[in-house]
Amino acid sequence: MIGWIRELGARTTAGVEALGRIVVFGALIVRAIFLRPSRIRFVLAAIFDSGVLSLALICASGATVGFVLGLQLYNTLSRFGAEESLGTAVGLSLIRELGPVLTGLLVTGRAGSATTAEIGSMKATEQLDGLRMMAIDPIHFVVMPRAVALSIAMPLLSAIFVLFGIFGAYLIGVEMLGLDSGSYVSSLENSVEFRDDVLQSLVKSVVFGMLLGLIATWRGYSCEPHAKGVSRATTSTVVTASVCILLADYTLTALWGV
Amino acid sequence: MQSSNAMRDLAVGIFALLGLLAIGYLTLQIGGVSLRPSEGIVMFATFDDIGGLSSRSPVRIAGVKVGRVEAIELDDDLRARVRMLLDQGLELSVDTAAAIRTSGLLGDQFIALEPGAEDELLGNGDVFSFTESAWNVDALVGAVVHGSADDDEKDD
Amino acid sequence: MALRDVGLTFGRRPVFDGLSCDFPRGRITVVMGGSGSGKSTILRLIGGLQRPDRGSIRVAGQEISGLGEIELSQVRQRLGMLFQNGALLDSMSVFENVALPLVEHTRLSAGEVARRVHERLESVGLSDVDDLLPGELSGGMLRRVAFARAIVMEPEILLCDEPFSGLDPPNVSRIEALLVHLKRDLGLTIIVTSHHMASSLRMAEQLILLQRQGLALIGTPAELAASRDTTIAEFIGEDGAAFLARHRDPMVAGRDEQPR
Repeated sequence: MIGWIRELGARTTAGVEALGRIVVFGALIVRAIFLRPSRIRFVLAAIFDSGVLSLALICASGATVGFVLGLQLYNTLSRFGAEESLGTAVGLSLIRELGPVLTGLLVTGRAGSATTAEIGSMKATEQLDGLRMMAIDPIHFVVMPRAVALSIAMPLLSAIFVLFGIFGAYLIGVEMLGLDSGSYVSSLENSVEFRDDVLQSLVKSVVFGMLLGLIATWRGYSCEPHAKGVSRATTSTVVTASVCILLADYTLTALWGV
Repeated sequence: MQSSNAMRDLAVGIFALLGLLAIGYLTLQIGGVSLRPSEGIVMFATFDDIGGLSSRSPVRIAGVKVGRVEAIELDDDLRARVRMLLDQGLELSVDTAAAIRTSGLLGDQFIALEPGAEDELLGNGDVFSFTESAWNVDALVGAVVHGSADDDEKDD
Repeated sequence: MALRDVGLTFGRRPVFDGLSCDFPRGRITVVMGGSGSGKSTILRLIGGLQRPDRGSIRVAGQEISGLGEIELSQVRQRLGMLFQNGALLDSMSVFENVALPLVEHTRLSAGEVARRVHERLESVGLSDVDDLLPGELSGGMLRRVAFARAIVMEPEILLCDEPFSGLDPPNVSRIEALLVHLKRDLGLTIIVTSHHMASSLRMAEQLILLQRQGLALIGTPAELAASRDTTIAEFIGEDGAAFLARHRDPMVAGRDEQPR
């Protein structure tokens, strides 16, 4: 019994310690944003890697989710004679929840894992130590640009995902199932609010982007410096970031009071 | 090296532009935020029950959209006071009635304006004196079961 | 530059337990020892990449064991380090890699940067490699590019982790000659870890032989070879002893410091 309690205590201490390290790491990243010289070119390169290269995935997934929503919701709504509300149902579910969350999960798999693997292998091959020995701060040179790029790319990708989803559901509902185009668009535009819906969506995707940026760079930066360590860190990024995004989504939804 | 950098920057630029356009479209068109201060006539109507009406619900005359609900609040008599923004130049007589209707059986709710016959016109900031509250399903079912709609559903 | 009573433990395994040694200014010190004896760790301690559990580390007259990253980077500007596998940034070309310290820490014009980079690359026997990526280089070329990068800022102290491993004989001689030249003409303090017996014995003015449990034998190559310690004899071997007997290295003759 005592042993069990001691074990619990040891784990709690370790957990708090790990959390503390991540917080310090996050603070160092924020500080690095304001250090000279500015690393804007590196941020652009990282946005290319995590944003531009994820674009095709996001567009295709967004449209597919739109198709599915269009079909499912149309069938369900038409049972109650409320297929006129398809725009409302599609718009609200995409903008508030599906857009930011699915984009967050997809970008975690596509770009978050790559970020961890890249930083981890730089650590394993002593590139980070090499930078340090040249008196260059690896957090400023390597970590910050990638974390910032994920935070910037996420809301942009999420908005693109939502638009493709709305368009996908339009194709199914209007072009295929014969719903009136005007009633789809007007029910969408009449029910979506800026503050409750669009702003909530943006805030969520920015928070998810920052979470992923922090987790992905931290896992790479703190991984064990060998191939096995890098692969473990990459897996851990996908798992941790996905769970954190879902938890943060619930928290933000509850806080928003909708 | 130079040219590949330029290509990359261009791609990032296009990506950022696309993303910002998407956010802009969601905010301005779908979210309905207007950049200019909204122009139009403000009018008020008071209802006992607004049902599922919400801000940004449309206001229609004969099915044509002529404005939208801007805000809903409780007045001193604990009745719902609805502020709407109507198109500039709309001429409504003083006996125009405002009713809350539903599109389809279970669709979105909107305010239907029924123009009256008087010559005198309503101006900016005026209040519709004739209003009809939303039908709620309980009352509707009650009406069907008891064979007549309750007069409580009408005011004025 | 000196280590005093340094203790360091990785997990449960003690690497050093009270290690002390000096690195005389303007001399070449070679650190030898079996794998796992902590050769590279000595360099990492001096570079501040690894903190000791206890003890003091002085680099260029400054105690570094308690410094934060910002103060450390001041000290590191006076250090050059060659990592065992180069540690070149694999997303940047050879030119960008070698130019990086100059671009980051000086305000030289682009032309001057290019001139210095090419000068350094030529000194390690490389030309026309500017636009290659590290992934496109052979191991030997990689090492030489890394060497060029380590000396491009003209450091006072040069740390080299296994500079000879995996190099062919001409390149071993080239790097060895370069090290001796840097020491003699520019007065660099150089610390080298190596398995490479012949070149180590040729260059070394001080030899540190690390053993298990973090003990070290320190002396000139001749002194160590003359001692009767069996581990030394084992490590240096008959070839090494014969080599030393043939070359009483003239560089060792004028020593002004008595190694411990």
